[in-house]
Amino acid sequence: MDATSEHELLERCREGDEQAFRELVERYKGLVFALVARSIPDAARAEEVAQDVFVRVYRGLPTFRGDAKVSTWIYRIVVNLLSAERRPPRTEPLEGTGEVPREFGATDRAFDEMTLRDRMDKALRRLPVHYQVLINGHYLKGMRYEELAEALGLPLGTVKTHLHRAKRQLRHLLETEYR
Amino acid sequence: MGCHDIDDLIEALADAEPVPADVEAHVASCAQCRARVELARAMDRLLLVREVPAPPEAFTLQVMRRVRQERWRVEQVVDAGFNLAIAAGLIVVVGGVTGLLWSLGWFSIDVTALSAAVVAVAPWTTRLASEAQTLALAAALLSSALALWWWVEGGGEASL
Repeated sequence: MDATSEHELLERCREGDEQAFRELVERYKGLVFALVARSIPDAARAEEVAQDVFVRVYRGLPTFRGDAKVSTWIYRIVVNLLSAERRPPRTEPLEGTGEVPREFGATDRAFDEMTLRDRMDKALRRLPVHYQVLINGHYLKGMRYEELAEALGLPLGTVKTHLHRAKRQLRHLLETEYR
Repeated sequence: MGCHDIDDLIEALADAEPVPADVEAHVASCAQCRARVELARAMDRLLLVREVPAPPEAFTLQVMRRVRQERWRVEQVVDAGFNLAIAAGLIVVVGGVTGLLWSLGWFSIDVTALSAAVVAVAPWTTRLASEAQTLALAAALLSSALALWWWVEGGGEASL
């Protein structure tokens, strides 16, 4: 959505146009729900939190100044709600443990990938929220580097570096806790 | 160069980004680092093809229902405040009119009954009289609040 139409949609929402707010929900629900559902394993809770995002958007309409894009604002709300939802990690961060990974691809690749997918989903939920949003947002193809940077308060030039760090931490989790 | 030094570059290697030649040489000769690069590539492949969770069909409907509930709660608070303001305003107006009628002598009450009533409310009237300025200020503030409320309501014709 270009900046003008986004601004117009926001103005209509502020004026109390129910159809406009419905349109806003329709436009962002896919990405919001995907980001939330990938971080919260309980489907019912994930749906509730995804709804909370839009309720917060509604509450914030009168005070949203429009300095940032609507999408960025919504993603920030996602990050905040996911952070609030997050339970304390069960164990300490595992970076730099130096454990030897199980050799991947040495036996049956299809089976390996299936089990890896399961382990990876679990490990992803152990990552810090901003790393989860970075990885999920990047691979959903719906969020650009600019949006990721703004949503997470990162300088644009460092998004890729942070993405590498996030993936490294995910790999360490897979190499150690989720072998 | 050891495996530990390579760890920070595993993701770059998996993404086929340029790395120093000695790093490439180490990975070529180290099964453990190759396994790490392969794991990073496998993660990348899986992340790309992971199923995207889709919202349920009724998602928008449920959000709109919650938004209406939210609006209803806000309106309840505004309505309660408005009703209180109206009640307080009515008391002020009735008190003012009564006082005016009384001072003009158009308002007569049985003296005995009045005496009893005066005795009953005397402490209050004394207190109210001493706080006449405060009451006037409160009435002015109330009027301002009502005017503001009326203006806001008029500005949002089709509220959500």
